[in-house]
Amino acid sequence: MIEGTVLPVDRPNVDTDQIIPAFLLTGITSSGLGTHLFKGMPGGLDLLAAHPGASIVVARENFGCGSSREHAAWALVDRGFRAVVAPSFARIFQENAYNNGLAPVIVDAAEIEALLTAPSLCIDVGAERLTAPGGRVLTFSLDPLRKRFLLEGGYLDFLANKRTAVRAWLARRP
Amino acid sequence: MPRSLFEKVWDEHVVEQLPGGNALLFVDRIVAHEITTPQGAIEILERYGDELFDKRRIVAMNDHVSPAKDTETAIQAKILREWAKRQGITLYDIGDNGICHVIAPERGHIEPGMTVICGDSHTCTLGAFGAFALGIGTTVQTGAMLAGCVVLERPKLMRITIEGRLGHGATAKDLALYVISTLTFRGATGYVIEYRGEAIDALSMDERMTLCNMAVEAGGTTAMIAPDETTFSYLRGRENQPKGEAFEANVVRWRTLRADPEARYERELTLDASALRPMVSWGTNPGQSVPLGGRVPADADPKSLEYMGLAPGDALRALPIDQAFIGSCTNSRISDLRAAAEVLRGRKVGVPTIITPGSQAVKRVAEREGLHDVFQDAGALWTHSSCGPCLGMSMGVVAPGSRCISSSNRNFPGRMGAGGRVHLASPAVVAASAILGRIASPEELPERAVAVPAGASPQLEWGE
Repeated sequence: MIEGTVLPVDRPNVDTDQIIPAFLLTGITSSGLGTHLFKGMPGGLDLLAAHPGASIVVARENFGCGSSREHAAWALVDRGFRAVVAPSFARIFQENAYNNGLAPVIVDAAEIEALLTAPSLCIDVGAERLTAPGGRVLTFSLDPLRKRFLLEGGYLDFLANKRTAVRAWLARRP
Repeated sequence: MPRSLFEKVWDEHVVEQLPGGNALLFVDRIVAHEITTPQGAIEILERYGDELFDKRRIVAMNDHVSPAKDTETAIQAKILREWAKRQGITLYDIGDNGICHVIAPERGHIEPGMTVICGDSHTCTLGAFGAFALGIGTTVQTGAMLAGCVVLERPKLMRITIEGRLGHGATAKDLALYVISTLTFRGATGYVIEYRGEAIDALSMDERMTLCNMAVEAGGTTAMIAPDETTFSYLRGRENQPKGEAFEANVVRWRTLRADPEARYERELTLDASALRPMVSWGTNPGQSVPLGGRVPADADPKSLEYMGLAPGDALRALPIDQAFIGSCTNSRISDLRAAAEVLRGRKVGVPTIITPGSQAVKRVAEREGLHDVFQDAGALWTHSSCGPCLGMSMGVVAPGSRCISSSNRNFPGRMGAGGRVHLASPAVVAASAILGRIASPEELPERAVAVPAGASPQLEWGE
């Protein structure tokens, strides 16, 4: 269950250069990137300052487009964000979000206007339900396999446990 | 059951079907660079005994910031270098490196029918070979290094047929911008694009890479072009490719990698290349592009306009620029440099101009042809190979409010530097704009005063 205040990012096409610019990708770990969050977005730092403690991003279409940098998801998580609510996501960002415990919540574009002005939201990831102030409930759907990675982590362990099966498949490959 | 090109490659690599339309997909080639790989190499060392699934399937390169610009990037390069050495992985490093999407095919590491991943969104470039090649995050790349596979949701399929032939100064870059502006910036999200048609058949491998490079700018998972004689000729005799009969046996297999006539696609689109003219972007994503002679649309997004300092109805032609850049994984191959040189020969640039070859090998070929003299005689900076100014990460950063015309692939806010404004165009248009100091096409240039052979000194050239 994610209960938190909203960071309203009233923009479509927030690319990962805006989430964290390339010149800040010089580290070798996934931690500590929260201080760089939204440094590439016009007005980004002011927006964050105006919403201290926010843990849910609400944005418009195509959030996370552009560069594949997982640093974008790392920066959001490091800053305390646990979900991004948007009408659509870029593929790579969405995968990165799942793999880092950041819920990519897709809702109808018509709902975004109201969610952008909501001070807080409650997201039940397990039940795939989002509750807005006033009690309005929206349902969303998550990838059934990746939902497990989202809730429990373990993408790498999942793959590590497939190694024997992959080697067997490879031996049979023509 | 008739199958598309994508389906043939996909089917050959599915190890296991997983819940939710996902597959465990085998990866033939991992291309690893210094920005997104060290984290994974460290994690595998710390948690999985430093054991890779198959090091022979990995090629690595320091490319984004090479040589390093500071201590942090030096550490990134060092970790990649030491990991490659420890594991016995092929590494392209300072002196013999290049942009991952340029050097991987150039050195023969990419073949038709392969699955390829790289922690870089422009991996779709390599779909030009009929490979299924896609960008992924560090965790997914790390998983492939560890277990040889990725978890991937099966994408949908879009076929784009490009009829006619490119002419009137239009290039593969203009075609890419045209396709993206038609699909919109997110119009291909969730799709693999299969390109076909007369215009595609006529493209060189360099041009096909330029076109496929920008599939991600429409949101596409990747693009693919069926391999043909152009592809086979490119690969025949290339480093890291088998020779003689072994290679020709591969060609026989690769010839089957094309869509069956009755293959089905969720979306189909047909465009005409012959009507195409040089394009230029006006906004803050590549889909916001128009013909160079066009204007900013009346319904343009206000936030994009504010960032770019433009208004609806503004003409793109004649817009003053402050900097020009030719390079990036989109347009830094030898044919791109030749196109730029053809425009620059015997002329002078009017704004700071940076020309960055896609690999050190491209650089050497260019210099053998005297292109470096053409560029430097024109007053441009000719650099070593790297991703360079494209992503504002090292050299050539664009100042706030300054306008740069660039042969790269992204005009996002801040992409080439905070507040910097980027207009995307072909190398020829960038070169012409660099000369005139404003957005311009080569046909607007005045006649060269005298015919100047490549390599002539500036004194001779300008009669001083």
